Amino acid sequence: MKQVIQFEDVVKIYPLKAGDVTALNHISFSVERGEFISIMGPSGSGKSTLLSLMGCLDTPTSGSISMSGRAIRNMSDEELTSFRRDKIGFIFQYFNLFPLLNIMENVSFPQMLKGGVNEEKAREVLRAVQLDERLYSHTPMELSGGQQQRVAVARALINDPDILLCDEPTGNLDSKTGASIMELMTELNRKGATIIVVTHDHGVANYTNRTIRIVDGCIAS
Amino acid sequence: MSAIFWEIAKRNIRIHMLRSTLAMLGIVIGVVAIASMGILGNSMVATVSESLKSVGDSVIVSPYSGGGGGMGAGGGGGGSSSASLKISDQNFQQIKRVVAPNVATPVYSTSDHMKIGVGSDDIVATIYALPAEDVPNIMKLQAGDYNNGNSGCLVGSTFAKDHNLKVGSRISIGTDGSKGTLRVTGIIEERGMSFDISTDNALVVTPEWFENAYDRNKDYDEVVVKVKEGDTATIKTNIEKQLNKHKDNKVVSVTDSKATLSSIYSTFSTVTTFVTAIGGISMVVAGVSIFNIMMMSVNERIKEIGIMRSIGTQKREVMSMFIYEAAIIGVIGSIVGGILSVLAGYAVSALMLGTTKYLLTTANALSVGEGVSFGIVICLLCGIYPAWQAANLNPIDALRHE
Repeated sequence: MKQVIQFEDVVKIYPLKAGDVTALNHISFSVERGEFISIMGPSGSGKSTLLSLMGCLDTPTSGSISMSGRAIRNMSDEELTSFRRDKIGFIFQYFNLFPLLNIMENVSFPQMLKGGVNEEKAREVLRAVQLDERLYSHTPMELSGGQQQRVAVARALINDPDILLCDEPTGNLDSKTGASIMELMTELNRKGATIIVVTHDHGVANYTNRTIRIVDGCIAS
Repeated sequence: MSAIFWEIAKRNIRIHMLRSTLAMLGIVIGVVAIASMGILGNSMVATVSESLKSVGDSVIVSPYSGGGGGMGAGGGGGGSSSASLKISDQNFQQIKRVVAPNVATPVYSTSDHMKIGVGSDDIVATIYALPAEDVPNIMKLQAGDYNNGNSGCLVGSTFAKDHNLKVGSRISIGTDGSKGTLRVTGIIEERGMSFDISTDNALVVTPEWFENAYDRNKDYDEVVVKVKEGDTATIKTNIEKQLNKHKDNKVVSVTDSKATLSSIYSTFSTVTTFVTAIGGISMVVAGVSIFNIMMMSVNERIKEIGIMRSIGTQKREVMSMFIYEAAIIGVIGSIVGGILSVLAGYAVSALMLGTTKYLLTTANALSVGEGVSFGIVICLLCGIYPAWQAANLNPIDALRHE
């Protein structure tokens, strides 16, 4: 299987006035295409930092990170941004849809960044997340939390990313809606999507095939 | 650049309509202040230009009256009387030689009482006297004839209108007609303001009649040179060189109409720039307001910017979204301001100058254009920093923002 993420001896240090904080301490792991992984750990363990590095929102202090075969260390901000747009799909705890855009526009937004809109593709991903077609012209505020998260998943899928990064995707949903979202993720993974979920919730981790536990910036298991 | 950012900018303005309208109002006020002040200044210049249109290229020579040295010119000049400040015939002949082939016209002037018709009120008006052959060089007639004979006179158009004078009307000059009666032989065309002689409210008689009536003998009040060959500045210098040979004993003062006009226009231009700059202050205030609103907009949307950046929006695209917002406010505010400034310019010109006939001129169109452009540029400039700040937010920090 082809590796889509490879961390080798990655260290991330945040220089603060009170002293340097080591968020990730010599971390090495890899993720292969088609895996469904959960990352768990207590607050302050380094989960968010790991997610930022996997999402190409930040670069490591030392070590190397390879995403879809590309080393991100020496990529410019513009290159990292284009990489995020083309290769990574983000799903956030608070859905993070654009309130000024309707559902169809929200889903098509990453496509627009690439310079073209394929409405049929947008409809396809919205059908894949099982969102009622009558809601396509609504604004996010007119949708329930579960519906908004489905839209967020559709937006993450629109550019056919190599990796879906999910930050507590069920953290703001009731258990029933959360379960339906995780079932949707499972279905997407079954179809070939590589999904990484950062979560505190063991129930969510149970949906995944592998769990990486982080404690004090190091991989515990 | 994706059209979605233009769309988001428009929707953000629409959703904050009151705030955006207030920002636009600031720009509207700024543009109106700048453009209407410009229109007022231009209209003032046009009004003065209209008044001075008959000045033409002339050099006016009058007896030197400034400073102690100049008052003694009579002796040194060979004829100028220091007591009555006149130009002697000898000085006139010198001037004539210096300005040749241009024509130098000696002018007498005084003010006197006069009556028009039996039982009319006593009035006071200016009387000029200049050789009949020189009259067509200086003024044009709207009625009658230049050839007025010894007991004839020409009257200014305003004077004729105010006193209902026609060719053939009679005017008694002096208290109780002591200087005799003159018959109107011609009405002079309106000349407006002028540096040589102001005929609109005056009479023009022959030198012979004037010398006889006022006991004068070739001691002139001024000499007017209409310059047709050479330039006024050189002729002025030549006259001064010839007649004011001694620094402490000046005989004449020489005025160059072109230089004076240029100085007047320069003064008006300075005044226009000054009042426009005052209008510009309101534009700066409007710019501060736009800056404030754009900073508010950025601060309110930090999380949104973080989401955009995280899913692949480039810095320049985030920047464009805020620049579009500032541009929309600037363009709409400036265009509305431009339209209103024409109305304001109309009102200000009507109130302050009493005329709006100079409103539709190229200069005024440029003033409105300048106001509108300045409004748009100020908005864009005030939008650049907030847009830059938005584009350079750390995506991780922006995503965490609550």
